[in-house]
Amino acid sequence: MSERSRLAANSEQRIADSQNALADVSGPQLSALSSKLAGAAVAPAAAALWLAAHLPAIAFDAVCREGGDALPIAVVELVQRVQRVVAASPAARERGVAPGMVLAAALALEPRLDARARDTGAERTLLERLAAAAGEVTPRVSLEPPDGLLLEVRGSLALFGGVEAVCEKLRAAARSVGVRAQLALAPTPLAALAGARVPRRRGSALFRVMHRAELVGALAPLPLAVLRWPEDLNARLAKMGVTRIGQALRLPRAGFARRFGPAALAALDRLVGGEVEPRRAVAQRERYRARREPSYELTDQPAVVAFLAPMLAELEAFLRSRQGSLTALDCRLHHRGLAATRCRLRFAQPAFAADAIGFLLGERLAATVLTAPVTACELVSSRFVPRHASSAALWQSGEHGGSPANEAPALIERLRARLGEESVYGLCLVPEHRPEVAGRRVVALRGATRASSEQREANGEQRTANSQKALAVASGSQLSALSSKLGSAAAARRPLWLLSTPLLMSAPGAWPQYEGPLEKLAGPERIETGWWDDRDVTRDYYVMRNRAAAQLWVYRERRPPHEWYLQGIFG
Amino acid sequence: MSVNPRLARLLEHPALWRGRSTARVPTWSTGFPMLDAGLPGGGWPRAGLVEILTPQVGVGELQLLIPTLARLTGLTPARWVAWIAPPFEPFAPALAAHGVALERQLIVRTSLPLWAMEQALGSGACEAALAWVQQARPRSLRRLQLATERGRTLGFVFRSVATAHEASPAVLRLSIVPRGEAVEVVLLKSRGGAREPIRVEIGHE
Repeated sequence: MSERSRLAANSEQRIADSQNALADVSGPQLSALSSKLAGAAVAPAAAALWLAAHLPAIAFDAVCREGGDALPIAVVELVQRVQRVVAASPAARERGVAPGMVLAAALALEPRLDARARDTGAERTLLERLAAAAGEVTPRVSLEPPDGLLLEVRGSLALFGGVEAVCEKLRAAARSVGVRAQLALAPTPLAALAGARVPRRRGSALFRVMHRAELVGALAPLPLAVLRWPEDLNARLAKMGVTRIGQALRLPRAGFARRFGPAALAALDRLVGGEVEPRRAVAQRERYRARREPSYELTDQPAVVAFLAPMLAELEAFLRSRQGSLTALDCRLHHRGLAATRCRLRFAQPAFAADAIGFLLGERLAATVLTAPVTACELVSSRFVPRHASSAALWQSGEHGGSPANEAPALIERLRARLGEESVYGLCLVPEHRPEVAGRRVVALRGATRASSEQREANGEQRTANSQKALAVASGSQLSALSSKLGSAAAARRPLWLLSTPLLMSAPGAWPQYEGPLEKLAGPERIETGWWDDRDVTRDYYVMRNRAAAQLWVYRERRPPHEWYLQGIFG
Repeated sequence: MSVNPRLARLLEHPALWRGRSTARVPTWSTGFPMLDAGLPGGGWPRAGLVEILTPQVGVGELQLLIPTLARLTGLTPARWVAWIAPPFEPFAPALAAHGVALERQLIVRTSLPLWAMEQALGSGACEAALAWVQQARPRSLRRLQLATERGRTLGFVFRSVATAHEASPAVLRLSIVPRGEAVEVVLLKSRGGAREPIRVEIGHE
């Protein structure tokens, strides 16, 4: 029996031993499933398959967003009080600048070198954004900082139609985020990462191992460096002539553990699947929040809208991967040294399409004044609500059987985006005798979205506890009953128009005037109520007609100084 | 006069308008029999722009529309009624007392009434839209007329009687003169409506 096959047999034995061999899937229901699977004949094909993305140039991609390849740029980091190059652009590498080099040496090779400080925060953000974008491929994404990402894709293969399609989807996600990624597929996470870290030459094939039986053979020629063991350990192994993974696997296990520590042996076991390695999946965020800085300051609205477009596309992908939609979106435009310009979009119905959101945002931005050039744009979403797909109606709105299900929210959103939230509203009845509180503005299309219910709550809070009892808002079936009651009680002598604030009228000779003398048609009707809050009224109402034959609703205060006011017009 | 029956049927087509002949357009009853009798087709057109000219706001023009609004918002499925830039606040209890469904009213406060009106008319979301407009060139009214056809919507534009001499692309144009408890409706432009002023008792009860 050769060394390698003994090792493989050894690891197979270990899989059979550990009941939870397949339980690197997290969650109780999955462990139940895996124990069931382990009880039956274990088919290796049903085991996890890991797709790793290694981002070799993440340090460079994080500080240099677009078009930096042609310029001599190097990313440097302070390591033990020496500035060292950690990444370099292709143009700089051509001149001999290489990672690990001291900055002074790099400058000697290329005097025009643009040295930029490493930004580990930006790298982490980039990695998280890629993880969010990769959520489209599989929900089981885990981070491998600083420059790796692991996706469990066994279930996704059937969904997307094969390995190539899944890889292409992840590459597209990486392109949209703006990083370069090397991919590899393997049955264990560590093997996938190791495969992805192997430096690629142009045209070299994807490291792809579908079954555990093929894993050891595929790993054997890889250099030990891809495992990222400590430098001194690698050096000691190299002194023994061990530089490849296959050579390390062939060493006697007991001696290996004694010389190089049990941790290294455990790493080898995890590599070939002898030992299970659970991974924590990235928790998907509940809200979308992104901030981008343009490379130059944006001075006008069209430029801002154009800059926001890719962010909105990302938001749409983000929403799609969660099957969510938005009720509101905050857009903040940051300026240098000034408070940010904020604009908040509220949707009449939950929105998710980037072009629809972009249109509304464009309308809103066109109406806002930019106080200063924009240095950064930020989008913050509301909480998500589940997306409900709807089918198009057979009939158009306005035709027999057609209902304005889609047109009404779209109209309301368009009007709100251009004119402002508070300019578009609906009406609501309040059982109350004081005219100024008997009608109330409400958010149009209320009840349709959560945003409007929030608004309603906010309205409710404004009222005092006392008046809340008196002002129970009627809706639905109550409304018609109420309206008929009010109609009979007040005998419908109520004007169609109400002035938002009563107009003080001049009253020479104890009788009011409004564009000429007034003629009394009906009255007085006394309204005396509201003592429980601070806005009690005691008034005598009259219907009068002026010279232009408009009928007016006029009242006289019963308290001194007995002023006359115009409150309504019959229209 | 004997007319070929096929020709007669052709002449009844709504798209064909022959002088004073009454055009056959689908209409909504106004709720006032006298007014129905005078309007072409027996009521407000179901889709089209109606221009209402008044000497000042509040002489009875809104009461003329209230029965129609009550009927339109009672349809199933109901579309909306948009109020674009109204001069005052529509008083909810009075509207409800007249049977107008409040949950289908949309009030829009704007300094761009023509834009908002075009959106409301053309969207197909509204059964009717009312706009109070100070200045309007014939071209912008023409846009509104086209929007009513697109959205199958009835549009009312309220303007001052001082603009009566201006050309208008509206399908129906009428002026309102208050006469005590009643109003006189004069059709300035219509496709075959009454020539004489129509007296309408809007009498409150």
